[in-house]
Amino acid sequence: MTALVLMRLAGFIRTGRFIPPLIAALVLLGILYGGGQAGIAEAYGVSALMMFPVLAWQTKLLLDTEPDVQRRLALVALRSRTREAIGGLVAAVLVAVPVVLIALALPWIVDALKPVDVGSGLLLGLWAHAIVVPPALALGALSSRVVAGTPGRAAAILAGGIVLALVLGLHSSPVPWLAPPLISSAHTLAQGAGSAAVVGLTAWAVVWSGAVLAGYGWLRRTRA
Amino acid sequence: MVSPMRLHEVSFRYRRRSEWVLLEVDAGIEAGEIVVVRGRNGAGKSTLLQLIAGVLRPTRGRIVDRPGRIGWVPERFPAEQPFTVSGYLDAMAAFAGAGSPELWLERLGLVPFRTVRLGELSKGTAQKVGLAQALISEPDLLILDEPWEGLDAAARDLVPGIVAELVAKDVAVLVSDHRGETARLPGATTWTVASARVSVEEPVEQAPWVIEVSAEDGPAAVAALRAGGHRVLRVRHADQATGVPGSHSDGATVPAQTAGGGAA
Repeated sequence: MTALVLMRLAGFIRTGRFIPPLIAALVLLGILYGGGQAGIAEAYGVSALMMFPVLAWQTKLLLDTEPDVQRRLALVALRSRTREAIGGLVAAVLVAVPVVLIALALPWIVDALKPVDVGSGLLLGLWAHAIVVPPALALGALSSRVVAGTPGRAAAILAGGIVLALVLGLHSSPVPWLAPPLISSAHTLAQGAGSAAVVGLTAWAVVWSGAVLAGYGWLRRTRA
Repeated sequence: MVSPMRLHEVSFRYRRRSEWVLLEVDAGIEAGEIVVVRGRNGAGKSTLLQLIAGVLRPTRGRIVDRPGRIGWVPERFPAEQPFTVSGYLDAMAAFAGAGSPELWLERLGLVPFRTVRLGELSKGTAQKVGLAQALISEPDLLILDEPWEGLDAAARDLVPGIVAELVAKDVAVLVSDHRGETARLPGATTWTVASARVSVEEPVEQAPWVIEVSAEDGPAAVAALRAGGHRVLRVRHADQATGVPGSHSDGATVPAQTAGGGAA
């Protein structure tokens, strides 16, 4: 599976498909950090929220890089539908890492953070971005061509998923558990996150992502 | 392939409520067997091959005892990828846990294209890369979807020889064809796909052809027939033969089948 992951990473990079989401990430971070200094944890909470659509889009782009027939050839050569699907998701995680690192490093480069409680702020920021990756990965996978079929349906799943994740996750939402804990984690970081909240939100993100990825896996049984 | 692979009541359609592409297909393929899949365009040949390759899953029914290693050559090789021939085949070999693709690079004449990007290859050369990726895994079942499509005459002649070689090693070969090229595959079972049904026709043993050539042309004629993938069953000089129909004093009699395959 390592060869498959490397091939998909190489395809994603060589075709330049990583550039649009990278530009989108930089624009969003530029808007976020363009207005002066903010507290570390609070800024990172909003940054993680903003990276959710970028990472979901990036996942979709990565999974769509390979021609359909090549994906099927990989499946036959690997002799496993599951390994083929997991290979794509692992590659998506690996390309999410540099985006997260940029999101964590950029505010320091532009001096947009108040240097107070730096250690705990960095840890909380890393945690906030880390729990955004699995839900973004799950939504991106669900909107990939192999599952969505047509570009229109794929765009509807991606855009609809992002909007629903934000709207349903609002504090006043009657069903916040239907959305990944994006706004909740940003809110928690702004108010000072306790360890119980961190554990609870992490579990929520894992369960939400697990459920959506299970749906992706179920759909991939018959879609190659 | 230890036990023969079987399709039990396999039905397939791409979407719910859409028309059945294949309906209640019952068929099997054994080690060392050649199956030619025939049918008009859109009949469902490629769908059937993809079901057998494991790319598609039957909507109903099941496929049992599918061999572990399958090589699949799609009808159109996806050449729009940012890799060189060598890089691509190395990666595909790694997927399959196979060794170096060097042998097939050489046999298929791909060595000069080793560093060429897939997207820059001609259709025929790209199709050869498709063939190579299927062969490097040393498959127990080779599935060829219109393998002659886009190949030049020289490359087309390679396919029957490779098929014969694999069959001799007990590899099962499934090949779809609408150009009549599979006439060069001897002893093949025929599956005909029509109206979503598959009918199986066992191979019919045919009487060999007898071709007479002059003695001085004999060796070259035999070599040319074999190089062309034809199975030469017997070669003898007319002066060695008694009562061989059509034999005469200055010729060589070459009973041969006009089909690809092994040596005499």
